[in-house]
Amino acid sequence: MASFKPYTYFQCPCTDTNLPPRRLGESRPPSSSSETEQEDDRTFDPRAPRANFSLYPLEHLLYCEDCHQIRCPRCVLDEIVTWYCPNCLFEVPSGVIKSEGNRCTRSCFQCPICIAPLSVSSIGAPPEGLGAEYVQPSGPYVLNCAYCMWSSKEIGIQFEKPNGIYAQLSKVKNGGTPVITPKERRKDREERSRDASVPMVMEEGISEEGEESVNLDAHEDLDAESQFANLKAFYQSQLAEASPASALGFTGGDYGYGSPGALSRIMGLYTGSNFADKRSKSKTGTMREAQDALEGLQLCNTASDEETIARLRNEGYENTASVAQLKEQTHPAHIHSVDDLRPIAYLLRTKRSKRCKTCRHILSKPESKVQTTRFRIRLVAPSYIPSISIRPLATSQNFLLTPFKPTQFVLTFKNPLFDRVKVSIATPGTTPGRFESRVTVLCPQFEVGANTDAWEEALREGAEREKRRTKAEASEGQLQAEAGKVWERGRNWVSVVVEVVPTSLRADVLMKEEDRGPVREDEDVVEIPVFVRVEWEAEGQGDDTVVGEGGEGG
Amino acid sequence: MTSKRAAKGEYIETDTGNKVSRRSQIIGTTNIILGGKTVIQAEVIIRGDLLRAHQNSAEKQGSPVAVAIGRYCFFSKGCELRPPGKVYKGWFSHYPLKIADHVFIGPSSVIEAALIGSHVSIGANCTIGKFAIIKDYVKVLDGTVVPPNMVVPSFSIVAGRPGRVVGEIAEGEVEGMDLREVYRGIGNG
Ligand SMILES: [Zn+2]
Ligand SMILES: [Zn+2]
Ligand SMILES: [Zn+2]
Ligand SMILES: [Zn+2]
Repeated sequence: MASFKPYTYFQCPCTDTNLPPRRLGESRPPSSSSETEQEDDRTFDPRAPRANFSLYPLEHLLYCEDCHQIRCPRCVLDEIVTWYCPNCLFEVPSGVIKSEGNRCTRSCFQCPICIAPLSVSSIGAPPEGLGAEYVQPSGPYVLNCAYCMWSSKEIGIQFEKPNGIYAQLSKVKNGGTPVITPKERRKDREERSRDASVPMVMEEGISEEGEESVNLDAHEDLDAESQFANLKAFYQSQLAEASPASALGFTGGDYGYGSPGALSRIMGLYTGSNFADKRSKSKTGTMREAQDALEGLQLCNTASDEETIARLRNEGYENTASVAQLKEQTHPAHIHSVDDLRPIAYLLRTKRSKRCKTCRHILSKPESKVQTTRFRIRLVAPSYIPSISIRPLATSQNFLLTPFKPTQFVLTFKNPLFDRVKVSIATPGTTPGRFESRVTVLCPQFEVGANTDAWEEALREGAEREKRRTKAEASEGQLQAEAGKVWERGRNWVSVVVEVVPTSLRADVLMKEEDRGPVREDEDVVEIPVFVRVEWEAEGQGDDTVVGEGGEGG
Repeated sequence: MTSKRAAKGEYIETDTGNKVSRRSQIIGTTNIILGGKTVIQAEVIIRGDLLRAHQNSAEKQGSPVAVAIGRYCFFSKGCELRPPGKVYKGWFSHYPLKIADHVFIGPSSVIEAALIGSHVSIGANCTIGKFAIIKDYVKVLDGTVVPPNMVVPSFSIVAGRPGRVVGEIAEGEVEGMDLREVYRGIGNG
C-alpha cells in the first residue's frame, strides 16, 4: 500500500438490528447471554460483515425532513419515472415496455465479443465518379464494433436497411437463415389442424391470403423463443379444448387461463365438486402433454452434445464463448461457440424518484424528460448533515501509520445549515477488532457556526484562508494540540484533533489464544467508529443524531 | 520551456480568466474557443489545427472552430484534446470537439470525443474514443477506454476497457462536480 487517503463514511441506522454481529472467519458464535444489556452500550463495529451494507459517503445519502433521519439506498423506495435507451436516449413509454420488453427496439446494439457499442455501416461498393460524395451509400449493411473490429458478417448476418436493425435481426438466425416467425408457425399449425379435421380454434388476424405457407418439421431444433411460442400455443389449444365454452362464452384462446370457467375448474380439482359443475369435472382428465417440436417438445439430444464437445476440441479456447459473454446473451442456454453469439440489444435504463420507506414522503424526484438533469425534489444529506473530513495533522507526513507511534489527525466538521449546531462526538477508547488501536478525541464537544449567505462567504473567504495557512505553518514545527480546545475554527466549520496510537499487526503476540492467526482482509486499515450527535434549534425544536465512522490508513 | 521563462510564473492569465501554462502546446489557436476561467496545465496538447476538410459555409462564418471549450474546465498535465476524424462519403475529415462547462480531464488522458457535457470528470490515463458523446454529470474512472461512438447518458459512472456504465451518480454528488473552487486554487503563487 504505497499511498492511502483517509476517508470518512456515515452509517445509516436502518440496518440496526438486535442480531449480535458475527465476524467472518470466526467459528464460534458470539455469546447470546446478556443481549439486552448489550443493547444499551453497544457500539457500532465497522468490521462486522453487516457494516458493509450500512456505510456510505455522505453524498450517497438522502435526508427525510419528516423523520429527521438520513436515508440510504436500503431505506428508500425507488419509483420509475422514465424508461429510456442509454444509447439513442429515446424515451420508451411504459406500455411499450410491457409489450416489447426492456431492450431498445431501434438500432442500438452492443458487441457480443467485447460489449462496446456497434455501429451500422455499409459494405456495398462506395459510389465512384463525379458527384459521388452526394450519393447515399447503398446496402447491404452490417453491424461493426469499432473497439475490437468484430462485424456481424462474421456470424453471416447482413441487413438491407440501415435503420430498424432490431426488427431485421429478429428475422434472421446466425448464418443468415431466416427465422420462422410465430405468424408463419401459427399458419402452419392451423393447416395441420384443418387437415386433421379437428375443430379449429380461431385466433385474431389469421385470414391473410396469398402468403406462402411453411411446412414445419416435427423434429425441428427450436430456439428458445419459438419453443416458448409453440408451447404456449399448444397449451392454449389444450385449454380451449378442455372447456369449449365457458360460462361467459369465451372460446379459449387468450382468455383460457383467466376465464371464470377455467378458474372454477382448477379450484374444483382441489376442493371437491363445490366450485366445479359436472361438465368441466368430466373434462379434467383429457389434457395431454406436448408430443413434438410443433407443440414445443424438444427431446434431449445426446448426439448434439457430442457434437458440441467435438467442436470445443477442434475450435479451441479462442472460439469458445466466455462466461462474461454468455451472461449478456438473452438466450445463453445452447450457446458454446463465439459464432453462436448474437449482437446484444441495449438494456433500457431508468430515471427514478425515491421515497422514504418509513413515511413515504418523496426525497428525490428527477424531471421526467430524458435529456434534462434537473430535479423537482432533491433532499440530500449534505445539505442537512455537517460534513466530516479527516486528514493528518502534519501535512508533510506519510499517510501510513507506524505501530505504537501516536499520530494526530484533524477531523473537520462543516455545517451546511443556516443555524448554529452543537456537536458532541465520542469514540471507544480502543478500536473494535483483534488489533486494538488506542483513540483519543482531544475536544469532544464544540459548536459550529451557521452557514451564512454566499455574499458574506465571498467577502470573508480571503481572510479565512489566510488564517488557516498561518496557523498550519505555525504548527509545522511543534505539533501541539491542546485537550479540550478546538484546533481551528472558521465561519461554519470547526476542526478538532484525534490522536491514534496504532497497534502492531503481529497476530502471534495477541493476548487471547483464539485470536491468533494471519492478518485477514482489511485488518491493516484502522477503522474508528465515531458517534456524532448534532443538535440545533430551528423554529424552537429539532435535534438529530448521526453515527459517523472514520477510516485511517495503516 | 526554459527555467528563465518559468521564473515569470507557470501560468499566463488571459482577459477572460483562463490560466494557461507556458509549457502547454496549443496548436491552431484561431480555431479554438475558450469560454473563460479554464485551467490548462503543463504539457497539455490541444489540436486546433485538425479542421474540417471541406468547409461549405466557412467563408460566411469567419474562422472555423475545431475545439470549443466552455467555462471552468480543467485540463491536467499531459492530456490531449484531438478533434475526431473519419471518412465520410469518400473523404477523410475532422469534426469539431465540443466541451461544455465544469469539465475535468485527468493527467495523460486523450480525448477524441464529439461532445463532452457539463460537470464531467474524466480520470487519469483515459482514452475517450472518436465521436463518443458524454452527457452531463458523468464520471469516467482512471484508466478507462471509452470506445468510439459510445453514448454515455447523464449520471453515469464509466469504467473498464472497453468502458461501460458501472454505476450511477448519487443525487448528493452533483454539487461536488462544480469546478469553481478548483479554479481558484490554481495560480502562480
Ligand atoms: Zn438506511
Ligand atoms: Zn436505442
Ligand atoms: Zn467488440
Ligand atoms: Zn421519512
